Formats: sequence, structure tokens, C-alpha cells
Amino acid sequence: MNDNPIYKEAKDYLVSQKKEQVAEITKKFIADGGNPLDIMNHAFIPGINEVGDLFGRGQLFLPELMLAADAMLVATDIVNEALEGSVGKQKSGGTVVLATVKGDVHDIGKCIVVSLMKANGLTVHDLGRDVEVDRIIEEAVKVKADVIGTSALLTTTMKQQKILEEALKSNGLRDQFKTVVGGAPVTPRWAARIGADAYAEDAQDGIVKIKEMLN
Amino acid sequence: MTKPIRTRMGDGELVMMSAEEIKEEVLLGTQDAADRGNIPELTAQELEQLFDIITESGRIVSVTPGEEVVVIDDGSTLALTSEYNDGAALSRSQAVMTYQNCCGADTVLLPHNDFSYKPIKGVINYELQDYHTISQLTTAPLFYGAQPNMGLYYQPDGPCANPSELLPQGKIEEAQQAQLDAAKMLTDDIVYIFKELNSIGLEGINLDTSGSAGDADFMAALNACVEIKKINPEMPVIVGIASEFILGMHGKVEFEGKRLAGMYPHEQVKTVEAAGASIFGPAINVNTSSSFPWNLSRAVTFIKAATDVSNIPVHANVGMGVNGIPMLEVSTVDCVTRASKALVQIAKVDGL
Repeated sequence: MNDNPIYKEAKDYLVSQKKEQVAEITKKFIADGGNPLDIMNHAFIPGINEVGDLFGRGQLFLPELMLAADAMLVATDIVNEALEGSVGKQKSGGTVVLATVKGDVHDIGKCIVVSLMKANGLTVHDLGRDVEVDRIIEEAVKVKADVIGTSALLTTTMKQQKILEEALKSNGLRDQFKTVVGGAPVTPRWAARIGADAYAEDAQDGIVKIKEMLN
Repeated sequence: MTKPIRTRMGDGELVMMSAEEIKEEVLLGTQDAADRGNIPELTAQELEQLFDIITESGRIVSVTPGEEVVVIDDGSTLALTSEYNDGAALSRSQAVMTYQNCCGADTVLLPHNDFSYKPIKGVINYELQDYHTISQLTTAPLFYGAQPNMGLYYQPDGPCANPSELLPQGKIEEAQQAQLDAAKMLTDDIVYIFKELNSIGLEGINLDTSGSAGDADFMAALNACVEIKKINPEMPVIVGIASEFILGMHGKVEFEGKRLAGMYPHEQVKTVEAAGASIFGPAINVNTSSSFPWNLSRAVTFIKAATDVSNIPVHANVGMGVNGIPMLEVSTVDCVTRASKALVQIAKVDGL
């Protein structure tokens, strides 16, 4: 990693959710001839990863996560504007359709997942809670999703994740999407048993797994 | 090559590990806990003791006579009243008596069927009747319990705006205010329910999984505890926690000048103590992708740091997915007994 002190300064601004300073330093870096991709790769991406790690450790909290995500979006917009027309332009990290399954009304964890996903450049279509399998598939097809993510917090609602896998297969759509499952009672064994592509231990792990699947 | 030892992963899968691998896992587990919680790692002697517990040859292990601790209930009887999965479709009184007489519990609990405080208000009179009737049958102290579950106060289930919808829109202040509004309602409801039960001879109250909806949820439970103890200073109050650190959904709520978000068990217990609670119930999350030895070592490290500083009894939850117990609907006896023994002998808990 490059030792340019600007990268550390920019990263620190992002981690401390200073949106205006993030914008300022990014614009100045580019105006001074810096490669926009460099500040993204050496400062802001490590920064948002650190934000996720701090959140997972309980050292940074949800409102701060939101503000950091906002600052990341600002940086991404400035970088993309500078790269307009070039091959280096930051495209969306992928499109995800997310839902808490039918019969389940828990959504606090999903809220965290949505925030982290957006902070990491993913386009998220959050269908909310208590969502029918057919609705999930309908939306995934409509938005041409890359990944379908489902959350279940009850052992009694987990089976909806299996029903989703079966519905995708019976509709001939299974190969069009990657699937990731999460929620308190969900385990790697469950994911393997139902044929999901990935299991997410927590929000941060979900980001890691989705990025692996999309690369 | 040493003989492989049977153990499990955090999702219950049976795996074989060598002694060296298990030792490595318990070391990594305690290091992870120490790093996250800024607490001491287990000592070399404690790690050796933990290794011995994990690798005991029997399927079931136990403490030596004289080391036994109390066993209480935080809603286990709900499994007995259920008609699904491992339920036995018993009546509420049968479930409570089964837990007392067949499972040998030291305290029993009458849980609300939804196990949330919000719906109790509407049926409080029925709950009073059931509690009073069942309390005449039990020998062990009969607690009444449910979970604060502050999420039920958000729309569409409740009157407050939903932070899960406001936060992604960037409406942070509105989301924080919604949490404070919900917390006030939750505290008021818990106190109301307590007053009614107290009037008919309540023997103890359980606020289970406090903090499940974040720091404001935890604050609501603490405030309720304070009010309960003002009304009846002798009332036993159990405050159980939802996760290993308090989730910062609000980020700024405090109790007696201390921010609640991010608190680990050694900090949670002092806060619960300050609120006047009688028993503290920590819950350390199980990582289902990691091994049982790793998870147990981690849990023991966190909980030991809490018992080291606590002036009230610490009763560790040994249910699925917490404190080392693999995430399985029917908990495996090998892991439950090993976790229980380790929590008693090394983490020095006062009950389970």
C-alpha cells in the first residue's frame, strides 16, 4: 500500500464520518494530478472496511455507520465524475435484493445489512419484512439482481429460505442469481442443505461473501 | 500423531480435531475476546483446564460435588407448551411443574406466550389469574418473564416511527427520537405490568434479552428495573442481555452518565447492578462458522471478566447459539455439559 500521507488523512476523514472533508480532500487530490482510483483503493475502500470492522466490534454505532456510508457515497461520486468515460469508473458493486422472509417481522439486523451494503457500493433493493417468495423472485427478475439475500430470525420461518431455493429451481431461474442466507438460527449447514450459495454470519460477513461471489 | 478428538462446530456439526488444534482454538478464542473487550485473556492454567473439559472422554461431563450452581429459567417452559418441533403441548401449569419437578430447576418462570412485554397489557388480568394459580402449585420461586422487545413499539406493530426505515433514509435524528419515544413506552409498560403482578404476590421478574433492539431497548429495561426496585425494593429482578455487546442503534443513550452502546459484559454487569437488578444474565454470541472450543473459550473469557467485577450473581445463559452452545434447536448434551462446567469452574458463574 502506498505510504502517501494523504491516503491516511482521507481514510481518517471517512472513518470519522467527516463528509465535507472527504469531498474536499478528494477534489484536491484529483486537482493535484492524483489518480482518482488510487485514493479510492488506498484510502476509502480500506476506510469503509475499517468502519465495518469497528461496527462489528461495537466501537462504532449505526448512526455513525450511516454517516460514513454517506461520506463514501460522496467520495464515489467525485471519483466517478473524474473518471467519466474511462474504464476505471466505479460501477456498482452489484445489485442485491434483500428481504426478511414470510412470517418473520424482524428487521433490525436487516437494517444494518442494508447500511453496510450501501456503504460498500452495492445497489440494494430492500423489500422489507414478511415477504412472500414470489415477491422476492419477481423483484429480483425486475431489477436484474445479482444476489438475493434473505434473513430469518425464527426456526419456524427459516424454511422459507428453502422454499425460495426450490422456487428458483422450478422456475428455471436458479442460475440467474446468487443466494445468501442469514439470521440468528441460520447456519452454514442449513445453507448447504438448502443449496444456498453462501451463508452470512453477520452483516460484515455478508459483504465479504457477496464480494467473493461477484468477483 | 495424537488421537483425534470429537468436538463440534458452532452450528453443531461433528468434527474431529487433534489436541494441538483444540489448544490452538481455545487460545485464539480467548485472544479474540480479550482484543474485542479489552479484557484479560484466560491464563495458561485456565486454558489448560478448559482444554481438559473440552476433551473429557465422556459424552456428558459435570462439576465435582459441592461445585453445583443454581439453574433458573428464562422461558424454557415455552418449549414445553409448544406443539411444534421439540414441544410437548403441555398447559402452562404443567410446563412450569415439569420444569420444576422433572428438570430440577431452582426457580421457575411463567412466560407470556409471545414472550414480549408489549402484548401483556391487553391480557394482564388473565396473566394475573394464571400466575396466581400456578404460584400456589410451585415450590421453587415462580418468576414472571418476557422480553422487552422494543421493536414491537415501531410501526407497523406499534405507534412509533420505525428507525429501520428512517436510518437508511438518512433521518438519523428522527430515528433516534423514535427510539427514545419507544423506550419510554416500554419502560412504562413493564412497570405497569410489574405493579399488577406485584399486587398479587409476584415472587420475581425477568427482563430477558434486554438490548435486543439496541441501546435504547437496554436503557428502557434498566429504567424499568430502577422503578421496580423503588416500588418493591425486595423484588428479585433478573436482567438478561441479548448479545455480547450492546448494539448502538441510537448511539448516544446513557444510563447514569455512561454510554450504553458498545458495552461488553464486564461493563453491562456494573450498569445492571447500578439499576438495582438482582441477577445478571450475559449472552455471548456463537459464531457458527467457528469451532465449539473457540466459541467456548471466547465466552468464558468474556464472562469471567464480568464475574471478576460483579457484586451480584451472574447467571450465564446456556441456550442455543449463546455462550458456546452450538446453534441447534435441540442442544447437544456434550456441548451443553462442557459449556456449563467451564462456565462454572473457570468463569465462576453463580448460576445457569
